[in-house]
Amino acid sequence: MIIERSSNWREDFIQRFEQDGPWDSWTLYNKSYEIEKMNLIPEFSGLQAPKFLTNIQLLPHQVEAAQTVIEKMNGKAILADEVGLGKTIEAGLIMKEYMIRGIVKKVLILVPASLQNQWVTELNMRFFIPAIAYRKNTPIEHYDVVVMSMDTAKKSPHREKIYEQDYDMIIIDEAHKLKNHKTQIYEFVQSLKKKFCLLLTATPIQNDVFEIFYLVSLLKPGHLGNYESFQASFSTTKNSTDGEKYLKELVNQVMVRNRRQDTGIEWTSRKVETIPIQFTPGEREVYEMIGALKSVSAVFSSSFTMVTLLKEMCSSKEATFLTLNKMIQKCVTNEESEYIEEILAKLMKLEINSKAEKVIEIIEKANDKVIIFTEYRATQAYLQWYLYTKGISSVLFNGKFSKSKRDWVKQLFRQRDQVLIATESGGEGINLQFCHHVINYDLPWNPMKLEQRIGRVHRLGQEEDVHIYNLAIEDTIEQKILDLLGSKIDVFEKVVGDLDDILTRKA
Amino acid sequence: MYAEQVHDYLRTFFKETDCELLSDEGYMLSVQLTADMDKRIMNRPFYWQYIEATNSPANPARLNLITDRTKVQNQFIGEIIHFGSGRLHQIFKATKELGSFVQMYQQSNDRKMLTPYFCVNYKVSYYCDQTKEVLYSLGINLINGDIEDHFHEFVSQLDLKGNIPENSFCLQYIIKPARALERLDGMIQNIIQNDDHSWAEEAKKRWAKELEVLDFFYDGVEEKPESYEIEKKGLKERFNPRIKVEIINGGLFYLH
Repeated sequence: MIIERSSNWREDFIQRFEQDGPWDSWTLYNKSYEIEKMNLIPEFSGLQAPKFLTNIQLLPHQVEAAQTVIEKMNGKAILADEVGLGKTIEAGLIMKEYMIRGIVKKVLILVPASLQNQWVTELNMRFFIPAIAYRKNTPIEHYDVVVMSMDTAKKSPHREKIYEQDYDMIIIDEAHKLKNHKTQIYEFVQSLKKKFCLLLTATPIQNDVFEIFYLVSLLKPGHLGNYESFQASFSTTKNSTDGEKYLKELVNQVMVRNRRQDTGIEWTSRKVETIPIQFTPGEREVYEMIGALKSVSAVFSSSFTMVTLLKEMCSSKEATFLTLNKMIQKCVTNEESEYIEEILAKLMKLEINSKAEKVIEIIEKANDKVIIFTEYRATQAYLQWYLYTKGISSVLFNGKFSKSKRDWVKQLFRQRDQVLIATESGGEGINLQFCHHVINYDLPWNPMKLEQRIGRVHRLGQEEDVHIYNLAIEDTIEQKILDLLGSKIDVFEKVVGDLDDILTRKA
Repeated sequence: MYAEQVHDYLRTFFKETDCELLSDEGYMLSVQLTADMDKRIMNRPFYWQYIEATNSPANPARLNLITDRTKVQNQFIGEIIHFGSGRLHQIFKATKELGSFVQMYQQSNDRKMLTPYFCVNYKVSYYCDQTKEVLYSLGINLINGDIEDHFHEFVSQLDLKGNIPENSFCLQYIIKPARALERLDGMIQNIIQNDDHSWAEEAKKRWAKELEVLDFFYDGVEEKPESYEIEKKGLKERFNPRIKVEIINGGLFYLH
């Protein structure tokens, strides 16, 4: 094996010897040796980083995760802890350890734009890693640790600039954004050299089993076979428990997943309730009319449009109105526009929103801070008005808010308003442990989005039981969504592992 | 390193490097850096380039270092310094630079004959996807060529000074220091060769295994895409076992 000899100590010594000096201080000579001894890495195994991290109270499951990744997974892993267990801390710890050991110097961290500053602050303040946030024209060749938004990284000229660097480690937060192998970001990451690599996601599977295939293939191509062999072995295993077990085992070789209950920390429990709601006859009539649209006009033949409309009708007339109003302009025949106008007329006459009434009931009963999640901005605005008429103060939140606005809203919610109304995109990057009630006003198709929502509240630091209310209107598309969510959770649990309750448990 | 240790360390370091301590409260140190120290630990090469190019009067920094933040109310009066912080790391680096070469004489009131020794402190690092480091402090007797390990532990106990004591005299070396250095380097090489290198074998096994997995992914693909070569390069950089020998410091010792 080649032995590298670094340092020009030899030449310097001979020179000083020949010139009889200058000689250094004996005290500093001794100190220097002591420092080396103190910082020595005496074993291949074990972690050195914790003794440097005086600003963090590391939890046992976090230390264990870091150790597993370094010692058993050789530095390439998916960190898939449930939301709120500190994946960022684990990633920082692993990075720090490799840096101390002199194996990693240059690190690229790809994150959603909204989390960029949070990462930079955490790394600097808690890990003493001098990381910078990448902005346009940042000379990245001068910085060792760069935090960049995924959307920026995948585009020219940034991607070329990244390819020119020689990164030792790549970290990707919210890595489920890479589940689709046809996207630009996936291709970008695929062509990136990944010497050491961490993918962070609480939700490695959102919809189907191929997502985990693509994620693992990014990290370690071949670990789950190639596409053909994977498809042959696993896509048809819907009924084969052996196949699922085998797949789960393979996945667990590259994935660390801590669940709340394995952390040894006492977690408050989740009380999940599905609350069935009845439409009023008026609402039902409009809903049925919308359902019949596809036989009226070709404009509505797309099932996507239909599903959107039906979901919106289950949310609020305001949301429905906006979409219908846009569509009326696409109508060609008079017959079509007349039918829609009839719907619109009936819609406008509706005075009761059964779901919103239920919400008031829940808020009054809770008599506490409540978060409401909805998928529609129109519904969000309507709810704020409606709550206001009932004397309940609320504040709005969505994912497009800047860091300072987020903090401001959080502050308002904590100190002034009883209710926070957030849209879907507000699910990531805000932590609200002081609240104990979550209303899912309408349901997303993807169970992991629900988990993300709940995770805003049910995370480290929560001291009380958390109540989750999933609202669904009976005999509507929401019933179907509920069923589908159930079966997706099933796939996840078979391949990745158990989940904390998101929906009411099936009996 | 606890807050107190850091504090003691800094006090010693600045005293030893002629930086004036303006105040020292036990949890906070105020120190006026010399120009040389400013260059070493303040990270501002452009400032110094400018000063030197324009011949302007230099204004070396004055640092307020807080070693125990629990004892200060207002953190903004200074810079918090602790084990793991960048500034301390720089000071460690400066320590290393300023404590590299010594020539020391054992002290005594009696008439003594001093034997010359030459010592090198080595750090040997084994790298693959994991790391391990070992220190060797090798001292060679420049008269008879005997080599001993743990030399530093031994000499650090002795009463040594930079000047030869009165009444004592030094024996002339027989082995030249340059030659002694070669011998010690050879000795280190020997130690490394005789060490247990199962770690390297294990790393190669992990490497081979991951390569096999990668090859399987591209099995049957006629023209392998660029990403295949990139992955392969990544594997090599991660697992390829390497050994590094670094000299921390060393010097001449005249002992009884």
